[in-house]
Amino acid sequence: MRKVIAVIEMHDVWKVYPNGVEALRGIDVRIDQGEFCYVVGPSGAGKSTFIKLMYREEKPSSGVILINGVNVKRVRDWKIPYLRRKIGVVFQDYKLLPHLTAYENVAFAMEAIEAPRRKIRSRVQEVLELVGLADRMNALPSQLSGGEQQRVSIARAIVNNPGFLIADEPTGNLDPENSWDIMYLLEEINARGTTVVMATHNKEIVNTMRKRVIAIENGVIVRDEDQGEYGYED
Amino acid sequence: MKIDTMFRHAREAFKSLKRNTWMTFAAVSAVAVTLLIFGFFLVFAFNINYLSKELDQQVAIRASIVPGASADDIEQLQKQIEQNPEVKSVTFIPKAQGLQQLKAQLGEDSKILEGLEGEENPLPDTLVIVPQNPQRIEELANKVKAHNLIEHEDHGDGVTDKLLDFSSLVRNVVLVFGLGLAVLAAFLISNTIKLTIFARRREIEIMRLVGASNWFIRWPFFIEGAFIGMLGAVFPVIIVLAFYKAALNVLTDGSQYSFIKMLPMMPLSLYVAALTTFLGVLIGIWGSVISIRRFLRV
Repeated sequence: MRKVIAVIEMHDVWKVYPNGVEALRGIDVRIDQGEFCYVVGPSGAGKSTFIKLMYREEKPSSGVILINGVNVKRVRDWKIPYLRRKIGVVFQDYKLLPHLTAYENVAFAMEAIEAPRRKIRSRVQEVLELVGLADRMNALPSQLSGGEQQRVSIARAIVNNPGFLIADEPTGNLDPENSWDIMYLLEEINARGTTVVMATHNKEIVNTMRKRVIAIENGVIVRDEDQGEYGYED
Repeated sequence: MKIDTMFRHAREAFKSLKRNTWMTFAAVSAVAVTLLIFGFFLVFAFNINYLSKELDQQVAIRASIVPGASADDIEQLQKQIEQNPEVKSVTFIPKAQGLQQLKAQLGEDSKILEGLEGEENPLPDTLVIVPQNPQRIEELANKVKAHNLIEHEDHGDGVTDKLLDFSSLVRNVVLVFGLGLAVLAAFLISNTIKLTIFARRREIEIMRLVGASNWFIRWPFFIEGAFIGMLGAVFPVIIVLAFYKAALNVLTDGSQYSFIKMLPMMPLSLYVAALTTFLGVLIGIWGSVISIRRFLRV
């Protein structure tokens, strides 16, 4: 039997911001390779902080975080970029560079880690085909719809083969039809072996596309169930 | 690092300079003004340094020997003084030679010395003693004076001291002033770079997210800063050297043997150009370091 590796492990993790706000209070969680997992909860409950800890945008105040088995606290600052190469991140507002085409936006992520140019061309083509935008690759973000822009941003997040994809409300700015396109895409990426963690407020999606659900309220995990439900009324 | 990557950094830097034309212009001007002042001080400092070295060489004790001392005694005295480690050199000038030198200095007015040759020569035999360290000439002069074969001693009566004090004061003032200006210029550059970083903060954010190394992010800004510094050095160097050439022509008629001692154009121009450019690049890079640190928190 293959050993299941934890992509994320948190043990008694606290996050207290300098202004005294306790965003997370004793989080214990484990997310394994290949999982698809929703993070839900009211606004201001600590979801964002939880997500940011996973790609080391924030450091925990106390407790232990292992990313791919590596204790984040022991990683020196200058090595953080190499840790991040194994993690792709997608945001609600896409964060595309407006003066670059779809192709260039995706290629940018490979240039930034100094990938060989020949490899960049074929790989960018490949992921743009995967997200269904091969024919739109010369368009600027302003010429693309919201759904298309989010697909470019997903392409950018996975172009370096990260193995772990974090999506912070990826459907937050999209209409239901485009939201579902994005969800099918994430599901396909997950089916190819990439772990996906997605923070969301979308009740319909969570209740239809059943996956593991982690609910956070007041900085504490109040619910963690496979095939869970959204559980809130907003 | 790969050549490809280096080209990319340079391309990014120039793109950003072009995109922010006005900010680039402002920063380059700021650097240029600073370096202009620095450049003038530099030629001044070089010349003061040169002058004080010349002065140092002229600083000497002229010790006159009591009349009637024998040649043997004088030779012995000279050897004795030479043994002092404070002494650089001792030259014996017999009174006949001294008269010749005086005549040469007086030039056309040397007529007044006519008829003083031979037995009538009123000048004493003289030892010219050059000290190792011009600053300690006073001490050495007192020692020399103590000798009973020395009738009288003259070391410029503190004029040289004052000149030496003045030149070292000027050197220090130049140093402090120059340093202050460099800091000022670095902050001006850092502000410019800050603006270009601000314009590119989304790019930096994404680079950080996808795992670009800190150096990969920094390089374009370093190149940008260095280039602003280099560009800012061009005009000051030209202006300073043009002024210096004019000053050289007016003050010394282009002759090296005039009353006012000034360094010739070469190799001074090379030093000034190299130092000014170097300083420009340095404050450029420094400026970009200051401004990028904050954006690179991990």
